[in-house]
Amino acid sequence: MPSDPLIRLEHVDKTYRIAETPTAVLRDVSLEIGAGEFVALQGPSGSGKSTLLHIIGLLDRPTAGRYLLRGRDVSGLSDDELSGLRNQSIGFVFQSFYLIPYATALDNVLLPGLYSPAPQHQLRQRAEHLLAQVGLADRMRHKPSQLSGGQQQRVALARAMLNDPDLILADEPTGQLDSKTSAEIMSLFAEVNANGKTIIVVTHDEETASHAKRRVLVQDGTIA
Amino acid sequence: MPSAASWFRTAPSPEALRLGRSVLRAQGAAWGALLAYKLRSAFVVLAVALGIAALTIIIAAVDGARRKALEIVEWFGPDAVLIFGGNIENRAVGQRTLTLTWDDARAIERSLPGAYLVTPMRAKQAVTLRYENRNMVTPLIVGTTADYAQAWNWPLVEGRDITEEDVLRSAKVCLIGDAPARELFGDESPIGKVILAGDLPVQVVGRLAYRGFTPGGGGVSVDDRLIMPLTTLTQRFNLERKYFRGLRVKFLEPELMEDHLASLKSLLRHLHKLGDDMPDDFSVISASEVLKFLTMITGGIMVFLGITAGAAMIVGGFVLANLLFLSVSERQEEIGLRKAMGATSLDITLQFLSEAVWLTLIGAVAGMALGIGMGQLLAKLGLLEIRLSMKLFLLAMASAMAIALVFGLKPARSAAAMDPIEALRGGK
Repeated sequence: MPSDPLIRLEHVDKTYRIAETPTAVLRDVSLEIGAGEFVALQGPSGSGKSTLLHIIGLLDRPTAGRYLLRGRDVSGLSDDELSGLRNQSIGFVFQSFYLIPYATALDNVLLPGLYSPAPQHQLRQRAEHLLAQVGLADRMRHKPSQLSGGQQQRVALARAMLNDPDLILADEPTGQLDSKTSAEIMSLFAEVNANGKTIIVVTHDEETASHAKRRVLVQDGTIA
Repeated sequence: MPSAASWFRTAPSPEALRLGRSVLRAQGAAWGALLAYKLRSAFVVLAVALGIAALTIIIAAVDGARRKALEIVEWFGPDAVLIFGGNIENRAVGQRTLTLTWDDARAIERSLPGAYLVTPMRAKQAVTLRYENRNMVTPLIVGTTADYAQAWNWPLVEGRDITEEDVLRSAKVCLIGDAPARELFGDESPIGKVILAGDLPVQVVGRLAYRGFTPGGGGVSVDDRLIMPLTTLTQRFNLERKYFRGLRVKFLEPELMEDHLASLKSLLRHLHKLGDDMPDDFSVISASEVLKFLTMITGGIMVFLGITAGAAMIVGGFVLANLLFLSVSERQEEIGLRKAMGATSLDITLQFLSEAVWLTLIGAVAGMALGIGMGQLLAKLGLLEIRLSMKLFLLAMASAMAIALVFGLKPARSAAAMDPIEALRGGK
């Protein structure tokens, strides 16, 4: 038997009830993503690509179909078990950074560590190391408001990697950045991917998608 | 089947370790937020502090009142009663109040079992005292029979008590209270000196110890009086000679006070020839009745303070709950983010509850400081006596925690129940 893919979606549906009318957001999506891939989920807004990312990131549950993460069906897991999986196996990067405004860059990177069993001093060392890796060794004590957009997104990327997850999910990571900064961020992602992390980026931007090794087009809730 | 050893294991379970870690790490998150929202935190602290301050005063005052009550029993003497002419309950109908006579006093002393010291009480108010070039007005000259100091459990610091002979001879002698002694003599000893009470020269033979304010509040000092033989007082100041305003009786065996009171009452009724259907024409007051009266007065203050404290605490709680709800809705983005990063509902609940607990604990400390300050002010004004204790500290802390848990749980739970995706969107 060949080894399981990191992510395997089988006939996944997602339906929301909006004012009593069921609205299908995803229809019969089947997708496999192997460990170490760098995938761009592309598509116009409203295509369902963000919902797909949320399901992959265990923030949302499919209405129908199966999701196997590392060969393990996650649909039966409790909310707390999903939290634990997210904490240890998945890192998130968002369009609007979502840094805690009153915490320093270092404390922001340490955020996933609050919910991890790893010892505090070890997490701290790793956070400092990661911030240095994204080029912010001299900005560790800065608050988000003292950082540029590109710097904030680097903090967010360092944060996503704190617990050394297999999978990094990015939802429009360059959506609020200019093209030069976008390119810098995407090459950081490529670097992270080269170190063995699986990366899935949702974007509608062609330039951003071009950094990925594989492109998946989402349209009208299905994969083209 | 769990092995027997596992029932006695001393190492904490992984669940307990995980909870401990969660609680510990939630404190960092909580403090970050508290410092970030300083004004809001200050409001909660203030609201809680007011509640705790009121609570502090009430507890301190209750303890103070209890101690005061004990002092009163001591001062009044658990073995003594006061008899007043006239019936307190019927005074409004204009009943005669001069009903106690020398004969009554003698009869009680002779024929009432257990009674051993009967001291009639008569007094002259507002008399000017003079010594050399100094003078002051004493609010009260008290007439007494022999052994005033003993009868009132009021020690003399100098000199001697009024004697039987003083009373028989209507001797021009007096005991001097602490206040006039200081006023007229300064640091000198007053013993043997002759002062003028009104126009009457009297020799000071004894000095009463400092006693402070009368129990029961009101800030009335008992130290500014002069004591003189009853006979001297009635003859020289032209007072009614037959009747007394009051009589003080001391009994042996104070544990039989109930019986003493009953026999005292029936003796007086007999002496006054009162029929079975007639009300008493006298009133008997014992230490326990003074206590009852005092409890009634302080009880009123306690109820008022209690309601105030309760209301203030509830207001504090609501302020806390409201600001936490505001905080939760404003920090949706943070909550969504924390959940995405792996925070469980418990983690989020712990964080917001920790914020609430820290705020109320700081409020409690501030409130206690405020309460102790205000209590001391009230004590200075003679309105209350306060007493501070460890119990007070623990009770204040416990109520602060209770406020945090009762009023903080709902907002904390609502934060924990948020859907991470919705919360992240709501933060935009």
